[in-house]
Amino acid sequence: MNFNSRVVSITLHAGVLALLLAATSLAQSPAPPAESATAAPPAPEATSAAPAAAEAAPTTPPAAAADAPASESKTLDQEVQGLKKDVIELNKDLFVLEEELLFPANTQVAVFLSMDVGTFFALDSVTIKIDNKEVANHLYTAREADALLKGGVQRIYLGNQKVGKHELVAFFTGKGPIERDYRRGATLVFEKGVGAKYLELKITDRVPKHQPEFLVKDWE
Amino acid sequence: MSSLAAAPPSLVGKDAPDFVLKARDGKNLRLSEFRGEVVLVNFWARWAGDSRKEMPALDRINTTYQRAGLVVLGVTVDDDVRRSDEFANSMGVSYPILFDLDGSTGRDYRIQKMPVSFLVDRAGVVRYTNVGFKRGDENAYLDEIRELLRE
Repeated sequence: MNFNSRVVSITLHAGVLALLLAATSLAQSPAPPAESATAAPPAPEATSAAPAAAEAAPTTPPAAAADAPASESKTLDQEVQGLKKDVIELNKDLFVLEEELLFPANTQVAVFLSMDVGTFFALDSVTIKIDNKEVANHLYTAREADALLKGGVQRIYLGNQKVGKHELVAFFTGKGPIERDYRRGATLVFEKGVGAKYLELKITDRVPKHQPEFLVKDWE
Repeated sequence: MSSLAAAPPSLVGKDAPDFVLKARDGKNLRLSEFRGEVVLVNFWARWAGDSRKEMPALDRINTTYQRAGLVVLGVTVDDDVRRSDEFANSMGVSYPILFDLDGSTGRDYRIQKMPVSFLVDRAGVVRYTNVGFKRGDENAYLDEIRELLRE
């Protein structure tokens, strides 16, 4: 979906929302119950005046009449649910649109961080430099480090870079084997093309050497 | 509660700016991870005379109310970690002391004077601030903390 069609789609969403809101406010207004209350009495009158005719023309049974407000509120509830769903959809579209506007694919670079095992390394912080300029710096709480160890992936950087060659340097600090302070760097020279570029910083255990390993992976 | 009323109202009623800072014990603490608890964030400095009076009072409050859901975080804006650590030791505080080395957290909280404290409710909203520390402020803190803990 290109930019223009997305704008049209969002405008349509907004229109649908406005209509739904209007419908909901009408449904919630006190007028309809009053109408149904006045409409209900003629039925018994008709049956007393001409029982045969009443039998011939099916009228609303009293039980069904009592059910009407319940079904009405059910419909209203469904409408509200639909409205909520539309709001979520619209919000998602706006989020995607915002990302596309702020970080267009032709300049977008995203860096993700993941951890595998982590027996030999307790993560404390990560600093990312692109072309010698610091673009991200994150201190990890115990809870965040735990989330990474459980398989979480963090988007640590999302920004714009020109097409061409760039150098990414990531510095990892933390506690290494035997609780020793550990600071390591990992470098990757990547080529930014016309599409979005995704890079992954991966911390793994190098079991034979009892040391952590820091990798930078280029997702094509 | 005059000191609380006289405090700059700029952040009151707004979400407390989130921060993650390194503590004295080497752990990194993030304010938003204390959501659900009442948090007192106290910015202090070695050179601020009122900090010497306030920190022991905050430690007493922390000892009494931490089991009820209060978290006290001391944030120093000094860039000398060793001397700040020594100062905190001399004050005998048991609550976490965090180092705002680049001053970014202080800027987020628009700190102009020291010490200054912010009371953050369980939803992460700044409810009260207090600049400086004078006689009676400890009781004012207690009143506000009890109220927030009851919510």
